Amino acid sequence: MIKTTPTKKRLLLFIFFGWVLLILGDRVGDLELYQGSFVATYALAITSIILLTGYSGQLSLGHGALMAVGAYTGALSIFNAGLHPVIGLIISVFVAGIFGLILGLVVARLSGPYLAGTTLALAISLPTLANQFPILGGEEGIVFDVGVAPARFGDEFSQYKWFFWISALAALIMVWLVANLLSGRYGRTFRAMRDNPVAAQLSGINVGQLKVMAFALSSGVAGLSGGLLVMLISGVSPSAFPLSLSFAVLTGAVVTGLYNLKGVILGGLVLVAIPEIADSLVSRIGGSEGFTTTLPGFLVSALLILAVVFTPNGPGHLLKRHHHKKKV
Amino acid sequence: MKRASLASAVIAVGALVLSTLPAQAATPGVSATEIKLGISSPLTGSAGVAYGKVPGAMKAYFDYINANGGVNGRKIKLISRDDKYLPTLAATQTTNLILKDKVFALVGALGTATHSKAYKAAALAKNNVPDLFVNTGFSGFGDTTKYPTTFTVLPSYAMEAKIMSKFIKEKFTGQAVALIAQDDEFGIDGVNGFKAGGLTLASTTLYPQSSLTDARAKALLTGLSAIPGKPVLVLFGTTDVTAGILKAAESLDLVSKFTWIAGSVGGDANTLLALGVKATTMTGVVAASFFPDAKDKSDEYVSQFMKINEKYNTKGVTFDNTVLQGMNSAMLTVQALRAAGKNLTRAGLISAIESKGAKFAGAGLVPLNYSATSRVGYNGYWFGQLNATGELKPYGGTLAIFTTDSGAGAIEASTYKRPTMPKNGIPTNS
Repeated sequence: MIKTTPTKKRLLLFIFFGWVLLILGDRVGDLELYQGSFVATYALAITSIILLTGYSGQLSLGHGALMAVGAYTGALSIFNAGLHPVIGLIISVFVAGIFGLILGLVVARLSGPYLAGTTLALAISLPTLANQFPILGGEEGIVFDVGVAPARFGDEFSQYKWFFWISALAALIMVWLVANLLSGRYGRTFRAMRDNPVAAQLSGINVGQLKVMAFALSSGVAGLSGGLLVMLISGVSPSAFPLSLSFAVLTGAVVTGLYNLKGVILGGLVLVAIPEIADSLVSRIGGSEGFTTTLPGFLVSALLILAVVFTPNGPGHLLKRHHHKKKV
Repeated sequence: MKRASLASAVIAVGALVLSTLPAQAATPGVSATEIKLGISSPLTGSAGVAYGKVPGAMKAYFDYINANGGVNGRKIKLISRDDKYLPTLAATQTTNLILKDKVFALVGALGTATHSKAYKAAALAKNNVPDLFVNTGFSGFGDTTKYPTTFTVLPSYAMEAKIMSKFIKEKFTGQAVALIAQDDEFGIDGVNGFKAGGLTLASTTLYPQSSLTDARAKALLTGLSAIPGKPVLVLFGTTDVTAGILKAAESLDLVSKFTWIAGSVGGDANTLLALGVKATTMTGVVAASFFPDAKDKSDEYVSQFMKINEKYNTKGVTFDNTVLQGMNSAMLTVQALRAAGKNLTRAGLISAIESKGAKFAGAGLVPLNYSATSRVGYNGYWFGQLNATGELKPYGGTLAIFTTDSGAGAIEASTYKRPTMPKNGIPTNS
């Protein structure tokens, strides 16, 4: 076999996975493509949480707000400024990242519950800003149109396949970039900072600077996730980023392993599956409308509690430990 | 380890694939025995209180028809999804109706912001999904370049504002007019309509959907009370906000200061009373309608729908204007399905309404205007005053119906004669 470094291995793995998705995309129906796009989007959001909370140890209860920043930026770039959708998505990454940078600077001195509370406040207040500035479109929001698939793909190429290709590709690229970052020096530095900030500082790591950087990176990824999310619903509005989204994404990260990226896809699948499960539960056992609307939220919360109690380090971490044990 | 998680991911995706067979049905939502229709509307939330009865009312009428032979041998199944009047949820729920529930057509989609977003997100145009009798008066839905498969039924807000302008100029000459409207396409449609109707507004206040707090309403009313005389206050918003403003006026003792006009969207008396507005406040409020009042048992459509509601709707649902409108739309839907014939296709349904829709029987007191070039349903209003029991009685005692368009067309007195109801409310058209 050709001698491959872990980096090269990772690249090949991602390319292979992308190819698998491409083939699968041709075999499944529109509904699965639609759901698959959501899986990719949520997987990306979970990645941003893992980067921030799992690796750099900062808790955020308000990632929905960061996703919203990316989403609105993307929508404004495409709709108001008339830019190409790909440029719009790239801009949403950078603007969300800059926003995260500023946010990181602001909360740099906070930690634990104080940081959590600040991010929570942000999540609640940020979407309502849309109602204050007419350019943000109020409750109706702004249209987010990535356009139809290029004509060369033919008439049969459905809109949902196009969404799937865009979201899967964007997620793959971004997760690959983050995986590379985290497997290198920065990953180790973040973990050092998370586990023992004092020791890290004594070893010469600029904890403050790195915390801010982690925030910025995480926000950039969240921004892309937000942009993809509103692409799927063809428009951004405050109702796309309720508080429950922030909790759901955090739960997804905790449930599938907060400390490494291996479970992000599974996390995305879980988040997409929960409303489905709730739906079929309700149709099986019946229930009032109030029950139907609160059940998904209840399932998310129950899942979070179970995960924290039984697998605080995530199932992936358990497998990893097992693997290491086997090696020895 | 990387292999294990990759494998598990692939297996998971594979499971998703295998769990649903690709549906390559000729026409989605139509089988030999069943027609599936879908509706996305608010069932919960603040708008759910006002409009939550719509799907149930439609389903009751469809059940009645199913019990009497169905449509060309097929039973109608209505799948209802809750969107809480939120555009994002409407987008995902409508997409679910098309992709998951695989409905043949949509009926009664509710809300301007909600449905305009949902229309795009669910790719209704691309899949040629008929979008029948939307529960919104936004005039833009009649634009076939943007909404090629949509048929409106309610007169547009622009039409309503124009006819309201004429009414105000005639009955309340000399009084200042203030407008409080929802800040989106619905409210703006109204603002433009007032302009087209030639009415000068002393004050226009726009508020974001469902966000006019009690404090803000009180501040607004206090400010408006400075206008001399008895100003006309037009409330162009949803029922929850209309109720909020009326209740704020009650607490400020400003009810008698204004002549209140409630727009069609927020003017349902029963819902306002249910939301806590006093009966004494309700008396005298001017409201518009294009139907007979839901309490008018002498009207043949009202009494027939009342019977259907009693027998087929969920126990305890009181018959009101919302139920009346819902059942009327359901009746129009049945006639449309019948007109499309036994060989039911989406394109066939759309052209059936275009060619035969104007002749459909319904409770509306103004004509339906469907044609090859128009997707506009009802196009007029009459004005009345609410009494203490929430009944709308014609203003001044005589019923005066006017029709117009959403643009610069004239406002004309209507000479329309409503077709007699098919026997027992069961259409027999083809």
